[in-house]
Amino acid sequence: MVASVQSDAPSDAVMELVGVRKTYPGPVEVLHGIDLTIGRGELLSIVGPSGSGKSTMLHLMGTLDLPTTGSVLINGVDVATLSDRQLSSFRARTLGFVFQQFYLIDGVSAVDNVANGLLYSGVSLPKRRSAAIAALTRVGLGHRLYSPPAKLSGGERQRVAIARALIARPAIVLADEPTGSLDTQTGQEVLALLRELNGDGTTVIVITHDPAVAEAMDRQVTIRDGLIVSDVARTLEVAR
Amino acid sequence: MSTAAAVRPARLSLTDTARVGASGLSARPLRSLLSALGIAIGIAAVTSVLGISASSQAALIAQLDSLGTNLLQVQAGQTFGGSSSSLPLTAEPMLTRIAPVLVESSVATVAANAYRTHYVPAGETNGIQVKAAKTNLLEALAGTMSEGSFITSATENYPVVVLGSLAAERLGFDHWIPNATVDIGGQQYLVAGIMNSMPLAPDIDRSALMGYPQAMNGFGMSAAPTTVYVRTTPDQVDAVGSVLPATVNPANPNEVTVSQPSDALSARIAANDAFNSLFLGLGAVALLVGGVGIANVMVISVLERRSEIGLRRALGATKGNIRNQFLTESLLLAGAGGVAGVALGIVITLIYATTRNVQLVVPVSAVAGGIAISLLLGAIAGLYPAIRAARLSPTDALRSV
Repeated sequence: MVASVQSDAPSDAVMELVGVRKTYPGPVEVLHGIDLTIGRGELLSIVGPSGSGKSTMLHLMGTLDLPTTGSVLINGVDVATLSDRQLSSFRARTLGFVFQQFYLIDGVSAVDNVANGLLYSGVSLPKRRSAAIAALTRVGLGHRLYSPPAKLSGGERQRVAIARALIARPAIVLADEPTGSLDTQTGQEVLALLRELNGDGTTVIVITHDPAVAEAMDRQVTIRDGLIVSDVARTLEVAR
Repeated sequence: MSTAAAVRPARLSLTDTARVGASGLSARPLRSLLSALGIAIGIAAVTSVLGISASSQAALIAQLDSLGTNLLQVQAGQTFGGSSSSLPLTAEPMLTRIAPVLVESSVATVAANAYRTHYVPAGETNGIQVKAAKTNLLEALAGTMSEGSFITSATENYPVVVLGSLAAERLGFDHWIPNATVDIGGQQYLVAGIMNSMPLAPDIDRSALMGYPQAMNGFGMSAAPTTVYVRTTPDQVDAVGSVLPATVNPANPNEVTVSQPSDALSARIAANDAFNSLFLGLGAVALLVGGVGIANVMVISVLERRSEIGLRRALGATKGNIRNQFLTESLLLAGAGGVAGVALGIVITLIYATTRNVQLVVPVSAVAGGIAISLLLGAIAGLYPAIRAARLSPTDALRSV
C-alpha cells in the first residue's frame, strides 16, 4: 500500500465520497469503499488503468448513478435523498460534463449546442444564445459560432463541449478523458483551457488513464481495482 | 447556490420542446420525409375520397334542385290478370282538375321504328322508340333543346320529329343539320331539333318524338297517352300522388303506376355513400401502415440516439423532458404528414372537380378530421418509443457508444 499523502484541501468541501461501494449485477463489485473529499476550487485528476473503476467514479460523482452502499455528498447534499427529477435539476445547475466523444448534436450549430447546456435550467432562448456566444468566445471559438460540429476539428469540438459545460456556471466540471480523442498539442490546449476555468473558481475533476494528463493537475488521485492507492497534491505551485 | 432552487426542475416551454423535437427531425431530413409520406398518402386518400364525393354530391343535389322533385310520372300498369293495360282517354282532362297540378303533359308510344334512311335494314332499330308527344313536354320535364326547336302547334300536324340526345347519337347526328330527315314507317320526317339529356326521363333520350295529330293520322294511333307527366306544387306532391290512380282510371285505380322520377337521382346520391365507405376503408389501412412506419422510425431513432439521450440527461433533462422530446418528434412527423396529406387531397379533389366541371367542395370535417387523426396516430406511434427513451438509465445511454 502506497502511503497516502493527505492534501491540505480547503475546509469547504464541494464533493464528498464516504465509504462508497458499487456493485453491478453479476455480482461484480467495482468500487470497494472509496473515501474522497474534494474542496471547492480544486483542480484534480482521477487516474487509473482501464477497469480500475474510473468511469464508475465519474457516474457516481456526476449523479448519473447511485452508490450501492456509502454516500455521495455534493454541496453537503446526499444525492441518494433526491428523486430522479430533483437529480436532473441538480445536474443542470451544479454539474458540467465534458466527454471524450464530445457528444455534440449533429446538424445543430456550435452556438445551439452550447446553448443546450442551459436548456434544462429554464433559461429563455435569447438569453441561452447570448450566454452561448459569450462561452464560445471565451474558449476561443468566437469565429466558429454557427458552424455545425461536422465542420469543426477535434480540438474545436472539445472546446465547444467545454463551453457547453461551463455555460451554466456549474460548481463542478467533470471531464472524462477530455484529451482521449485529441493529438498531444490539441490536448495540451484543452488542458490549459480547463486550468483557466479552474482559475475562475470552478472545481475541475479530470478522469484519465494518461499519467501525463494527470501530472498536469494540482492533485492526483490514483485508483486501482476499485481502491484509492495514492492521493498526491502538488506541493510546488506554479505561480498564478 | 441554494439547495431549494437546485432541486426544483425547470419546465421546458412549449416552443423549446417543439424546437428540440424539430431538431431531431431536421438532422435526418430524408428519413423524416419518407416516414411522413406514409401518413400523407393515407390522409390524402381519405380527404380526396370525401372531397370528390362531396363535390359530385353537390353537383347531383344542384341538378336535383334545378330539375325539381315535384314531378310525378303516371303509367298504365298491369291488369289484375297480369296483361298490360292502357290509360283511358279521359285521363288527362281529369288530371287537370286536381288543384295543385301545375303542368300536365304526356307521350304515347307509336308502333314504328326510326331509321336514318330507308336503306337501313329493318332489324337495326338501335333501340330507338318512336313516340307522340304533347307540345308542352319540355316544360313538364324541365328539359331543354340542344339545337333546333321542339314540336310546336304548327309542326305537330306534319311529319316532323325531334330527337332525344341518345337517339340523335345512334342515328348518326353529332350535331343538328337543318333539313335533315329520318325514315319512320317508310316516310321521310324532318328533324326539327335535338334535345339535351333529360335525367328525369331517360326513356325520352332514346326516343324520336312527333306530334299527336301526326301520329294519329299516320299510324292510326288512339289519342290515349302511355305515360303522363305531372308537375305539382312542391308541398302537395304526396297528396297528388295518392289521388292520381283514382283520378286517372276511376274504374281500375290498381292498374295505374305512379312514380317520382327524382327518386332515381336521390338513389344515386345514396349509392355514392356506399362507395365512399369502401375507399375510406382503404384510406384507413394506408393510415394504419403509415402509423406503423412512424413507430418503426421512432424505435430506430431511440436506439441510434442513446448517446444523445445520455448527454441530455447529463445536461439535466428529466425523464419527462426526454419522453416529451420523442413524443413531440413523432407528433411533428405525423402532423406534417397530415397537413401535406390534406393539401394533396384538396389538389386531387380540385383536379377531379375541374375535369368533371363540378363545383369544388371539401368538407371541413375532412380537413379537421384528417389532421386530428394524424396527430392521434403520431401520439400512439410515438408513445412507446418515447417511454423507452425516458426509461433508459443515463449511464447505460452514455456507455453504449
